Amino acid sequence: MVDPVLARRLGYPVIYATLCLGFLFLRLLPLSTLPVGVPGPDFVLLLTILWVIRRPDHVPAPLIVAVLLIEDLMTMRPPGLWTAIVLLVSEFLRSHRISLREVNFLLEWLVASLAMFAIMLVNRAVLALFVVPQAGLGMSMLQVIVSVAAYPVLAFALQAVLGLRRTAPGEVDAMGQRL
Amino acid sequence: MARQNDSADYKGPVRRVLIAILALALAGTFLIWRIDSPRVERFRAAFIDRVVPSFDWAMVPVTRLAAMVEGFQSYASLYEQNQELRRELQQMKSWKEAAVQLEQQNAKLLAQNQVRLDPKLTTVSGVVLADAGSPFRQSVLLNVGARDGIVDGWATMDGLGVVGRISGVGQTTSRVILLTDASSRIPVTLQPSGQKAMLVGDNSATPAIDFLESADDVRPGDRVISSGDGGVFPAGLLVGEVAQGTDLRLRVRLSADYQRLEFLRVLRSHPAEQITEPGVLIPPPLPPLLMQEPEAETAAEEPENG
Repeated sequence: MVDPVLARRLGYPVIYATLCLGFLFLRLLPLSTLPVGVPGPDFVLLLTILWVIRRPDHVPAPLIVAVLLIEDLMTMRPPGLWTAIVLLVSEFLRSHRISLREVNFLLEWLVASLAMFAIMLVNRAVLALFVVPQAGLGMSMLQVIVSVAAYPVLAFALQAVLGLRRTAPGEVDAMGQRL
Repeated sequence: MARQNDSADYKGPVRRVLIAILALALAGTFLIWRIDSPRVERFRAAFIDRVVPSFDWAMVPVTRLAAMVEGFQSYASLYEQNQELRRELQQMKSWKEAAVQLEQQNAKLLAQNQVRLDPKLTTVSGVVLADAGSPFRQSVLLNVGARDGIVDGWATMDGLGVVGRISGVGQTTSRVILLTDASSRIPVTLQPSGQKAMLVGDNSATPAIDFLESADDVRPGDRVISSGDGGVFPAGLLVGEVAQGTDLRLRVRLSADYQRLEFLRVLRSHPAEQITEPGVLIPPPLPPLLMQEPEAETAAEEPENG
C-alpha cells in the first residue's frame, strides 16, 4: 500500500524532475540544426524559479542541483557555475517564502523576472571574469525576455493541471506542520 | 522582510551550512573545468556517451514523427513526395558538384598530365543522435565513437559539403562542432581567385569569411573549399559558396543541408607530411630497421603533429 502522505510528498519532486528532463529531452532532439534567430525559453530555469517561488517545499535544493547539473553536462555549459548561481538564487527566494506568499501575481512575475535576469548577468560576469568565450549578450537577453514572457503561461498551465499555487498564509501540510 | 523561523532550531543553521558546502562544491567543479578542461570534457563525453544512446528508442521515433509533422502540409502523400524530391535534389546537387569538380580536374590533368588522389581518405558513417540543446551552441552528437576509431579533429561531411569537426569523443558517441558554432574556425580557399581565408562561425546560418587578403577579387557565388592549412582539415572538401550579407560582409552559404542533418560521414584523415624548414632535403622514407635510431631525436618534435 502506498502511503498517500508519502506519495504526495514524493510526487511533486518527481513531477518537477520529470518535467525538467522532458523539456531537456525535447531540446536535445535533432529537429533542426540551423541556428535560431530567437531562442526559445529556458524551461528548466523557468520551472525551477516558478516552483521555488510557489511551493519551495516541493523542490529540495539537492534535487535542483541534480537536475541543473545534468542540464549543464548535456548542453555543453561550463559544469557547475550555472547550477551554483541558480542554487543561491533559489535559496534566496526560499528564505523569503513567507513574504512571497502574500504578493499578487504581477509582483511574483516581477520577482521571477529579476531572478532570471540576475542569474543570467552573474553567469555572464563570472564567465567573463574567467575569460571563457561566450555567446553575444543580445542572445542571452533575448532568451531571458522570452522566458519572462513564458512565465505566466507556464504558471497558469501548472496551476490548472497540477494545482500548483502559492500556499495561503497559515496553511499546513499533510503532517500538520506549518509551511 | 520576515524570515522563516524553523520549528526545530538546529535545522536552519545545519541546512545553511550544507547549502554553502553544495554551492562551494559546484564552484569548485567550475574551477576544475576552467583549469583542466580536457579532463572534465572527457568526463562529460563519457556521461553523454552513457546517457544519450539509452534514450535512442525514444529519440528516433519522436524525431521522425516531428520531422513528418513538419513535412505534413495538407496531404499524406505530400510527405513522401517531398522527401523524394529533396533526395533527388540533393543527388542532383552532388552530380552538379561532381561535374564541376571533374571539369576542374580535367583542366588540371590536361595541364600537368599526372594526378594522384589521396588514398588515405576513407570515411566512417554515423547517425545524428542529438543536437546541442542550447541556442548558443551548434553541435550534434553522432553514434560513432572511439570504438569505431574516431579521433578528435576529423572532418565531418554530409553527402555534399563539410558539416563540422569532431570535438569530444566518447566510447560510442562523438560530438561534431558545426561550422555555424561560434567557436568554429576552419581555413578555406576561395576558388577562382585562390585566396586563403578563415571561415568563422558566429551562431548564424551563414558563417563569415575573415582574414581575407583582398575582398575585391571575391564575388558572391565563388566556391569555397577547405584549404588544408594547419593540417587539421583535409584539403579540397566543398564547404559552400560565397554570399554577401545585408551588412555587406562576405559570408558562406553552406552546401551541407543543415536543415536536416541525418547521416554524416566522418573522414579518416591522417596528418599530411609537414615540411617546416625551407632549405632541408626531403629524404625518401627509411626502411624500418634504420628508422629506430633517428626516432629518439624526432620524438621531441612529434607531439605537434600527433
